[in-house]
Amino acid sequence: MTTAIPVRNRLAVAIDTGGTFTDVTLLDRANGQMWTAKTPSTPSDPSLGFMDGITKVLSAADETPDHVAQVVHGTTVATNLILEDKGALAGLLTTEGFRHVLEIGRHDIPRKSSMYSWVKPRRPVPPERIHEIGGMLAEDGSELQALDESAVRHAAIQLRKQGVSAVAICFLHSYANSAHELRARQIILDVWPDAQVSLSSEVMPVFREYERTMTTILNAYVMPAVSSYVGKLEARLAENAIASPLLLMKSSGGVTGAQTIRQEPVQTALSGPAAGVVGCQFIGGVAGFANLIGVDIGGTSADISLIKDGKPGMTTRGKVGAWPMTLPMVDINTIGAGGGSIARVSDIHGLRVGPESAGAQPGPACYGRGGTEPTVSDAHVVLGHLPPRLLNGAMTLDVAAARRAIEEKIARPLGLDLYAAARGILALIDNAMVGAIRVVSVERGHDPRDFVLLPFGGAGPLHGGALARLLQMPNILIPPAPGVLSAIGLLVSNLKADFSRTCLQYPPHYDLAQMERVFVEMESDAERWLQAEGIQPAERFLQRQVSLRYRHQGFELTIPWPDLEPDPALAAACEAFHAKHMALYTFDQRDVPVEIVTLHVEAVGRLTPPEMPPISRHGSLSEARRTTQIVHFAEGAEETPVYDRSALGAGAEIKGPAILVQLDSTTLILPGQFGRVDDFGTLIVSA
Amino acid sequence: MIQDPPDMLAQPQAAVTPICDPISLEIIVGALSSAQLEMETVLERTAMCPFIKEKKDYLAAFYDAEGRMVAGTVLPIFGQVVEPILEFYPLASMRPGDIYWYSDCYQSKGAVSHNSDQVIVAPVFADGKLSAFAQTWAHLMDVGGMRAGSLSPDATDIFQEGLIIPPVRIGRDGVINNELMRLFERNSRFPDMLRGDMRALFAATGLGAQRLAELFARFGTEIVESAFRQLIQRTSIQVKARFNEIFPDGEYSFTDTVDSDGKGNGPFHVRVRLTVAGGRADLDMTETDDQAPGPINFLMHDCVPSLMLGMYLTADQPHQLLNDGAMRVLDTITTRPGSLVAPIFPAPLGQRSLTMLRVQSALTGLVNVATNGNGPAASSTYSIYYLRGINPRTGERFLMQDGVGAGYGARPFADGHDVIYFVGQENYPVEYLNSSFPVRMRRYAIHADSGGPGRWRGGCGVIREFELLCDEATLSLRIGNVVEAPYGVAGGLAAGAGRAVVNPGTDRQRDLAPLSDGTVLRRGDILRIETGGGGGWGHPYDRPAEQVRLDVLRGFVSAVAAERDYGVTLVEGEDGLVIDQQATLLRRGAERQTGLFHRHGYVEAFA
Repeated sequence: MTTAIPVRNRLAVAIDTGGTFTDVTLLDRANGQMWTAKTPSTPSDPSLGFMDGITKVLSAADETPDHVAQVVHGTTVATNLILEDKGALAGLLTTEGFRHVLEIGRHDIPRKSSMYSWVKPRRPVPPERIHEIGGMLAEDGSELQALDESAVRHAAIQLRKQGVSAVAICFLHSYANSAHELRARQIILDVWPDAQVSLSSEVMPVFREYERTMTTILNAYVMPAVSSYVGKLEARLAENAIASPLLLMKSSGGVTGAQTIRQEPVQTALSGPAAGVVGCQFIGGVAGFANLIGVDIGGTSADISLIKDGKPGMTTRGKVGAWPMTLPMVDINTIGAGGGSIARVSDIHGLRVGPESAGAQPGPACYGRGGTEPTVSDAHVVLGHLPPRLLNGAMTLDVAAARRAIEEKIARPLGLDLYAAARGILALIDNAMVGAIRVVSVERGHDPRDFVLLPFGGAGPLHGGALARLLQMPNILIPPAPGVLSAIGLLVSNLKADFSRTCLQYPPHYDLAQMERVFVEMESDAERWLQAEGIQPAERFLQRQVSLRYRHQGFELTIPWPDLEPDPALAAACEAFHAKHMALYTFDQRDVPVEIVTLHVEAVGRLTPPEMPPISRHGSLSEARRTTQIVHFAEGAEETPVYDRSALGAGAEIKGPAILVQLDSTTLILPGQFGRVDDFGTLIVSA
Repeated sequence: MIQDPPDMLAQPQAAVTPICDPISLEIIVGALSSAQLEMETVLERTAMCPFIKEKKDYLAAFYDAEGRMVAGTVLPIFGQVVEPILEFYPLASMRPGDIYWYSDCYQSKGAVSHNSDQVIVAPVFADGKLSAFAQTWAHLMDVGGMRAGSLSPDATDIFQEGLIIPPVRIGRDGVINNELMRLFERNSRFPDMLRGDMRALFAATGLGAQRLAELFARFGTEIVESAFRQLIQRTSIQVKARFNEIFPDGEYSFTDTVDSDGKGNGPFHVRVRLTVAGGRADLDMTETDDQAPGPINFLMHDCVPSLMLGMYLTADQPHQLLNDGAMRVLDTITTRPGSLVAPIFPAPLGQRSLTMLRVQSALTGLVNVATNGNGPAASSTYSIYYLRGINPRTGERFLMQDGVGAGYGARPFADGHDVIYFVGQENYPVEYLNSSFPVRMRRYAIHADSGGPGRWRGGCGVIREFELLCDEATLSLRIGNVVEAPYGVAGGLAAGAGRAVVNPGTDRQRDLAPLSDGTVLRRGDILRIETGGGGGWGHPYDRPAEQVRLDVLRGFVSAVAAERDYGVTLVEGEDGLVIDQQATLLRRGAERQTGLFHRHGYVEAFA
């Protein structure tokens, strides 16, 4: 692909496809003006909802397709295929003797599960579609035995006969030498020209065969569907006279062109949540905060992430469903806790909330669609946190049903009054989120008190105040449009790709020259990719990183490799490693030599970020005030004013308790908290 | 640390001691569980020996001020770990910043059960009062002893199995006693890794103590103490209720068998007799065979049978904490000093897993007796081998301790697990072994036909095969259930056995004794280890024929066994294997034998 991205053109459009709704945001880069549109998602063919949303938002803005310069998309197609076990019929070529690599796994009965009740999950590829191929590489990549080319040919024919639509190839030690995998792909394509083939040496050339095989398999598993999906999106854009390239959000929080995603679709496994993290990063930056904890609370789950010094925390030891996913991805901790989470009293008088959810149908009792199970949303309704009408009056809440559900199923069995029971439900869900926040903060060596909480998603701003208090976090940022922050994230993200190679270096004999060679090779790969994505040289940024560990350890920490001569760079990286080890694990070991395991190059192609326009200073508190309602706080019931968020101008100051309503979310400011609207419409609450 | 304790509840009824409300209780459970995870994360990510970092042979737990476990184990082999410390260090002598350490099996009455497991305990103070304990343990790769890796099948007494650490105070006022550490390190063949592992243990335990202290500060000492009491009581009520459902008043007995002690003795029988009457449950194990000269003795802590049953009884309650409350489901446990489960000092203990898993399968055998086969079939003991030599790449001594999973018993609702090493302990990646030791892995595959045939198939064991790439290495080996396979239940057949063989299929083939040490391997030798499976559940003729066909295609069952054991005849069709419906129907329609248990034929009981 050689088309340059004409970033100077005015319009950028972001499409965030969710389970129920597709959110579309249009940005005019000339003046920072934004329009949003919401349209029902179309699961049978998501490209319909995608295009329908774009058409809607263009008409809302009174714009024409030819002004669109950029289309950015966050998708859950790959995520759902993996989580719902609905990927393609895929096949695998593996080294002779290792056909059961997936069945054996890591002996991986999860640590906390019962050996008597746990059932092994079905692998995405069963052994009858796994073919063993002769040929052996040593751990340093040298060839011990030539590739059995006839076995590859035979496997290709067999797999084709079996109706397989995507093939993964993962040979032992291919991270050190991709020759056998490359040759095997060529042989497959010779006999089966339209085969879709994933190579482990391309998808994730990193040591540990089970994890690498699984990631490569998942890539193959989602490839046909993602590939045809991307093709459909491009066709829809072309039909509608939008000529700009399509960019997709990756799990790493960067976007990339559709061509890369066709090859490495597994990169989109966390596409949706990653967009939210980028949105946090942006909103935090505009408001002047670089250290943030983002909490995206939806109906069934909460996604929690951390941003330090303006950069999202990353991991290479994530999971998607039951499977390890060792590609670099934004470190997101997802828990089954959301507005629809159901509260239950168990047989031994324990109250539990979630992870079961009432979903959209029948939904919480307060939706009045026949739901009778008490949920988190019902607790909010009972306590008066939510106004009786939502979505600008389009939806009326059934307060009586919410009260009945909590009274009968929680309060009475526990011998509590209604409000204590409702507060108990919220205390538990908040506690689950506090635990999840600790995973991304305390467990990563960060003190949450040094961070600002950024709650978003439809339900986030209802919980932000309580979470910040529990964690002693001093400030809360409520973005201007909390419900569509993911779409904002899509609009502000950069192109990003990570290049890694295992390059073991044992002290005291670090081969700095070899490292330099590997870095330079990866950098030229990175440059080639940026060139192909149409990024101008001035907008290309490369950062070297190294993964280090103490001698004999098995877990590495990734540290930036400073732009210095090799020797001082090594010294500085080691020093940073000691410090990070101390911060994360409470001790360092300066008497132990440091080993180098993996080298990385992170490539960023900068896209022009939108300018957030300041909002008007008009809008006094009294103009924005709509009504009052009784809220049952722990301290007692209190008459609480309800404000229209859109009528609050820059500089508006709100003393808690207060409720702020807007189309996509509701914010609760607790007694004793104090909010101020900044110049860009973000609400900054001091806890 | 965290202010504003959630006081969302109406005041509980007036009481002298404050009671933790049900909501705070759940919050405390969540906090304990995330603290435990944090400790384990520190341990796993900073430890140096592969036993901890790749295999994950470690655990973190919390105890109340009396040393009763509040939250901890998924492994039913530890309990009452604080008690042994108190004999040397009374509670009153303990201070914040203390760290205690031991690995003394006999002194701790089996709270640890081989010398390699190091227990680290830190007291937690709240309002100046000792209020709880945080604990970790981990299996260290070499703590001295007769052979590298400390635990050798050749051992004849416990002094050969590594340094014995009685309870000592290794930390005072937050400072580690380096003199003790120097002594410990000097006794290990791998002092660098040992030092790193101990540092990891200290850091993880210290972190746990800090998190507990924060919990006390947040809720107040009395509330947390009340929560601890309630958590123990809750587990106790739950476990007892499930126990009573399964075991009506009566007497139940079961016997399971350990093949050998590796010194030509055996088989050894583990005999359990449970008497349930008038709300009491008493377990008599006095008829268990005498202790062995070889190291298969299992110094069983009193709480172990209750915890093992507790694990089964809470299987459908994933949120239930397995704690002190589960340790009391049996009122008494009677053992006979000098028997396999109550050996006399200094009998060797290093290979106690072989016996421990038979105690477990004898207890689940009781469940099957009481429910007419509604429990799980038996599982093979996980295997391990040690390879010792000089690594030609570094010129240094190496020790490769490779834990090899085995198959687990089938259940009335599902197949058994394939290739599991006890609970949650991971294997070494082939690429890790090839890169770190002078071996080249040639095969790592499901061991076909090792899973006991049944309506639900027993889990399969595994085949691990490698070539030696250094001049010479010695091998120590443990494979269980070679003669006495894990039993099948309710018509299910017993599992297939494991074995170890050098240079299979050549004229240099040698079969190795399943529990042995000192085997010399030379460059180019190929070692193949095959582990056993789990017993089957339900009659194999009732397994859907299509499932059997898939088992064959997938390498879990051979075509021969499909026909012989499952009555499914497969023929090669145009598109691969197909079921010969007529032959299968005929075979499966014929009269069938069955029985409550199976091993060397169907039986109604094991005596």
